[in-house]
Amino acid sequence: MSDSLTMDAIQQWLHRFALEITTQADWLTELDSAIGDADHGTNMVRGTGAVVAKLNGGATGTVQELLKAVGMTLVSSVGGASGSLYGTFFLEMGRNSPSGEQLNASELEKALRAGVDGVVARGHAAVGDKTMVDALEPAVTALYQSLANGLRLHDSVAAAAAAATTGRDSTEPLVARKGRASYLGERSAGHIDPGAASSAILVAALAATVGEGTAQ
Amino acid sequence: MIGIVLVSHSEALANAAMDLALQMVHGARPPIRIAAGAAGGFGTDATAIASAIDDLAKTDGVLVITDLGSAILSSSLALEIRSSTHQVVISDGPFVEATTAAVVGAAAGGSLADIAADASNALAAKKSQDATGQAASSAEHTDPGSPVVSAEERLINPMGLHTRPASLLVQMAGEFSSDIELTNTSSGRGPVNASSVIGLLSLGACKNDRIRIEASGPDAPQAVNAVKELVLQGFGELS
Repeated sequence: MSDSLTMDAIQQWLHRFALEITTQADWLTELDSAIGDADHGTNMVRGTGAVVAKLNGGATGTVQELLKAVGMTLVSSVGGASGSLYGTFFLEMGRNSPSGEQLNASELEKALRAGVDGVVARGHAAVGDKTMVDALEPAVTALYQSLANGLRLHDSVAAAAAAATTGRDSTEPLVARKGRASYLGERSAGHIDPGAASSAILVAALAATVGEGTAQ
Repeated sequence: MIGIVLVSHSEALANAAMDLALQMVHGARPPIRIAAGAAGGFGTDATAIASAIDDLAKTDGVLVITDLGSAILSSSLALEIRSSTHQVVISDGPFVEATTAAVVGAAAGGSLADIAADASNALAAKKSQDATGQAASSAEHTDPGSPVVSAEERLINPMGLHTRPASLLVQMAGEFSSDIELTNTSSGRGPVNASSVIGLLSLGACKNDRIRIEASGPDAPQAVNAVKELVLQGFGELS
């Protein structure tokens, strides 16, 4: 198993995530104006921008430390549920990473799984509730299955990104059962969930980073 | 005394809720911290909540009171990232009512467990006064095994048993070791424990309603007399 994600690759992933969020901020906010408080794009731009500033301020030693720093930065800069949930995702990823300076494919899969489990536990959301989980849960499942089937990391992460996109789109007809959108009841149907949309961007950014060969 | 952290999406909302609740406190104020807003706008910030909790590390526990959904989520994350280790409970009570119950309860020296229960049940007062005015009668009853001292008096103050008199009663009840319960015999609501401002409000007691005061415990006669006096003096609201 030579496939792995180095510290550089992880930082590359986060830079790309921030860039994609900025590019798609208006769309995220538009999605959020349909069923929420119209600030998801703005909030995520602020949060990922703070992460980039943190990364530029000096690299942290281990994967654990890096992911923890990213989590704490998101918690204090995004605001609201997204901040706590994305923060939890990276904090749990960090807590469940080895203490070295890279993640091999199976370590990455375990860390991502722990991150998603953390989001599920924190938000008490399940697949079908029209949340981030609708994109993240199928993504980590696809990653696990692809690796188990012997696929290389870049193909497995690509499968995860495809699953996240499908999951994101599956939120459109759903009625929200969690978060502020749930107050809208039936009126929340017919719109893609903004959290699922930004989560799909997160997984796509990982796939693009690995696919580009920043990972070894 | 326990400490209270108010977690709101809006700093203005949290400050107003705090001021409203503090109107009921006439002695020492409980320590209250506000963690409201995020990144300069509406929202909640788990790191701000964690430092508010850490700031109250010297209290006898902290009750965290939240407004909308993500306030609870951020608070539960705050419990993980805080540096202090004292006892903290996140309340599921409604923001304004739970804040009132907690502030009054904390000022009266209540325990974290009692105040948390009170804050959690803080909707009861509102629910008991539905549009038809029908009472939701309480299922709680005094332990039949203990001797009970009782008295019955008529409310004479114009506003009845509203929040200010209720909080006076809670503070007085805290001075006795006996269990004190009140029943609105005019409407049949109660009995409720006199240590709960929300319970007392759920009696929906108006001027001229008759209130039965029951106490059981070592200082029951004194407790009943004290409450009786308070009722007879119209809770100090007679001009």
